[in-house]
Amino acid sequence: MNAYDAVIVGAGVLGAATALELAEAGLSVLVLERGAPNREGSGTTAGNLHIQAVHTRRPGQAVPLDSEALLPAQKAADGLWALAEERLDADLEVRRNGGFMVAETAEQRRELRTKHVWERRAGLRTELLDGDAARDALPLLGPTVTAATWCPHDGYANPLKAAPAYLAAARRLGARVEAFTPVTGLERRGPAWRVRTPRGRHDTPVVVNTAGPWISDVSALAGVDMRMSPVAIQMHVTVRERPVLHHLVQHIGEGMSVKQVTAGNLLLGGGWPARRMDLDGRSSAGVAGLTGNVAQAVRILPFLARLRLLRMWAGPLAATPDEMPVIGPVPGREGLYVAGGTYAFTFAPLWGETLARMIRGERPRIDVSAFAPDRLTAPAGDADPAAPAHTEKGTAPC
Amino acid sequence: MSADTAAPAALTADAAVVGAGPAGLAAALELARAGLDVLLLDEQAEPGGQYYRRPGPEVLDAVGDHRPEGGRLVARVRAAGVRVLSGHTVWGVDDDRRTLLAASPGGAAVRVRARWVVAATGAYERSVPFPGWQLPGVVTPGLAQHMSAEGVRLGRRAVVAGSGPFLLPVACALLERGVRVVAVAEAGRPYTPGPASLGALRFPARLAELASYAARLARHGVRVHQDTVVARAHGADRVEAVTLTRFSDPERVVARHGVDLLCVGYGFRPQADLPRLLGCAVDRDPATGDTVPRLTPTGRSSVPHVYVVGEAAGAAGAPTALARGRAAALDILASSGRAPDRGERRRLAVHLASLAGFTRLTAALYPAPAELVPALARRLPGPTLVCRCECVTADAVRAAAAAEGGSDVPAVKGGTRAGMGLCQARECGPALEALRAGGPGTGTVPARVPLRPLPLAAVLELADTPGEDV
Ligand SMILES: Cc1cc2nc3c(=O)[nH]c(=O)nc-3n(C[C@H](O)[C@H](O)[C@H](O)COP(=O)(O)OP(=O)(O)OC[C@H]3O[C@@H](n4cnc5c(N)ncnc54)[C@H](O)[C@@H]3O)c2cc1C
Ligand SMILES: Cc1cc2nc3c(=O)[nH]c(=O)nc-3n(C[C@H](O)[C@H](O)[C@H](O)COP(=O)(O)OP(=O)(O)OC[C@H]3O[C@@H](n4cnc5c(N)ncnc54)[C@H](O)[C@@H]3O)c2cc1C
Repeated sequence: MNAYDAVIVGAGVLGAATALELAEAGLSVLVLERGAPNREGSGTTAGNLHIQAVHTRRPGQAVPLDSEALLPAQKAADGLWALAEERLDADLEVRRNGGFMVAETAEQRRELRTKHVWERRAGLRTELLDGDAARDALPLLGPTVTAATWCPHDGYANPLKAAPAYLAAARRLGARVEAFTPVTGLERRGPAWRVRTPRGRHDTPVVVNTAGPWISDVSALAGVDMRMSPVAIQMHVTVRERPVLHHLVQHIGEGMSVKQVTAGNLLLGGGWPARRMDLDGRSSAGVAGLTGNVAQAVRILPFLARLRLLRMWAGPLAATPDEMPVIGPVPGREGLYVAGGTYAFTFAPLWGETLARMIRGERPRIDVSAFAPDRLTAPAGDADPAAPAHTEKGTAPC
Repeated sequence: MSADTAAPAALTADAAVVGAGPAGLAAALELARAGLDVLLLDEQAEPGGQYYRRPGPEVLDAVGDHRPEGGRLVARVRAAGVRVLSGHTVWGVDDDRRTLLAASPGGAAVRVRARWVVAATGAYERSVPFPGWQLPGVVTPGLAQHMSAEGVRLGRRAVVAGSGPFLLPVACALLERGVRVVAVAEAGRPYTPGPASLGALRFPARLAELASYAARLARHGVRVHQDTVVARAHGADRVEAVTLTRFSDPERVVARHGVDLLCVGYGFRPQADLPRLLGCAVDRDPATGDTVPRLTPTGRSSVPHVYVVGEAAGAAGAPTALARGRAAALDILASSGRAPDRGERRRLAVHLASLAGFTRLTAALYPAPAELVPALARRLPGPTLVCRCECVTADAVRAAAAAEGGSDVPAVKGGTRAGMGLCQARECGPALEALRAGGPGTGTVPARVPLRPLPLAAVLELADTPGEDV
């Protein structure tokens, strides 16, 4: 048996970022991962750094997201991404070239204006453009675009590099990562948690649950009912193309994001549901999502029609019932922390730092009390039997 | 031809056969003759597949048709009423896991729904990286064979290397085009009489075929090096020389030849992606290391309406491909109530069994790919490009594979981009799997949609209501 200052469950980008922060603070850290690191949400993500306010509701999404409440976190994450490569001493292909959020209908234009007001209020500089001004700024935009907001901070980081770089940096500071080692038990033993795995057990005062789509399962090991549901969504990528698109392009009314990555491929996504979620293996991407995503993307960026699709894939993420992130200590379970939910990739540097500060009794960079886990937990035993523990949802933000 | 290519957007048939090589043609013919409505889809411009590849008009004028029996089979298939859709790539399977999705030569989307699906998608050539394999002038034996058959002289001085019986006819085909073949390098020792090769005497005809190739090579003074592999191709802008070493003793240089053409291949591996997308169970073949569909002797997969025939079911050569195609067709006919001749099914089963015996014996002559490929991959120098599409070296793959705590093939891909380029691991897949060798997690490259890069315009056509949300 080994003793660690903190044990992190899940080697996605959140677990990795938290491991680095804690190791940097001098804690002995163990990261336990049930499969290979970075293969779930963090390895399949679109990798967008969403800094301008996101659309509040997508077709099929039951609950609108409180887009305005997310802005301070987005702004803070932007600042941290700007420093990430230097800090990790790694090329993450971070690109903060800005992005457009486009509108087509009158209703969508209204939403753009509202969001623009929120952004100004939050101190985020965005510009509101009419259709022609948007096409002047980005001539690739198609004729149906009638307005757009431009945010100079939107960006991208290569998800295949981000979590591995965080893990590597954490290892350099002494953190240990055990892959193919699922956590199978969490028991409170006096002042410590006993973390069980098929390959041994570890005692630690602090357990961080960054198990992504499995957050509820890991919470349940500690006797906590956390109302989050896994959802699988899919991505589509074209063959390489010479550099043509330097910005992120999103849609205010529909799930859509398009950008060109460093290797030259164009990545199309936007939260389109996968054909099948498979939490034991690989979720699979479907044709309905492909055709839907391509149809809208080609409408907004007609040049895409002449490119070829190389591949598609699906990945799982953890959705909260209110579509907002979750981060903080789990009520009634001392030393147990959780982080996940919406835009966990964008927020990774911030949530890693926030968790580390909370664990060390320091004040986080921004107020995250609105994202506290208590809104999602019911102490074991008195959960409302009428409320479903796992809500079903067609789409989720990404 | 024009009738073949004008395709409506949704097609139905009793049976859809994918791949118009020997296996697909044989299956389609048998099914159509029994009265089934059969669609035969193939991505090539003309039916025939690899073995019966049809020469174009210019080639026909210049060099003729070296396999006229292929042309006759295609003619019979058409005469039997099979709807032949050439130039149609089947790129995926719809969300119902049943409807095939194809793209026509013009990029039009085609949905195909059939009671039975016969996957006759053939094989890939098995490549193993070596330093210099990215140089122009380095090709696979299959490509060399095709170009030679079409009258193209690919170079002046060549070495043919790798493993398997296919190297001999390829060397002969090059000779026929006036290429000076300096040597054939075979990784195993098949041409030394031994217990394994003696068993082949029960099949004098096949052995005679190999022997006749060997005799022709000898007449032309072609050296056959055994226990020999390519260590390196040299050259600045294209291949100029090749160093051959002992397979059993990599330090020992066998020869260094100046060449402007180097053909290297280690046989064929089943192209089983379509069956995997259709949900068919697959296994790892212990002898080859390949991912192969789990099949009954007549080619029925774990998904009862899906059959897999020909090389896609396991590399075994054209005669077996023909027989497997027919056997699957007879099985389909039996299960659709059209009782085919019992005797015929029995004779075919006997024929298939004897072919399988020959395949086993031939395979026993040559080193098992499941051992050969990892052995070659292990000795790759660090800077060797393993993935040519994304320029990923052996060292990078090894580092990713050796990640603390373990790694699997998808993680190696994700960590390095190896196998994520245009060919989607068709070429580097075996080497990637071999370099990762062992440990927890999945050891295989997954099947992907689209099976071939697909114009987004074709995807657009699939979208029923463009501009609306699903
Ligand atoms: C297709 C897609 C596109 C997306 N696009 C974006 C985007 O553009 N921008 C953005 O900000 N966000 C995006 N997201 C969301 C975001 O990427 C993910 O939510 C985020 O990466 C999740 O990180 P994570 O570390 O919380 O979880 P994950 O990366 O899912 O990692 C959780 C890990 O925990 C492990 N685990 C689970 N149970 C156990 C156990 N019992 N023991 C040990 N380990 C365990 C899992 O194996 C997994 O590796 C997208 C998500 C997807 C799927
Ligand atoms: C490059 C190459 C050259 C070869 N040359 C020889 C040779 O000269 N002599 C010899 O004995 N053997 C040769 N072989 C081995 C050969 O595969 C078999 O002998 C024989 O052709 C197998 O027949 P088959 O019907 O199983 O497959 P094939 O003849 O390979 O036919 C399969 C057909 O399916 C098509 N196809 C595959 N996937 C799709 C898809 N998704 N959509 C549409 N169409 C698809 C292919 O393009 C091909 O036309 C060669 C193999 C390869 C790969």
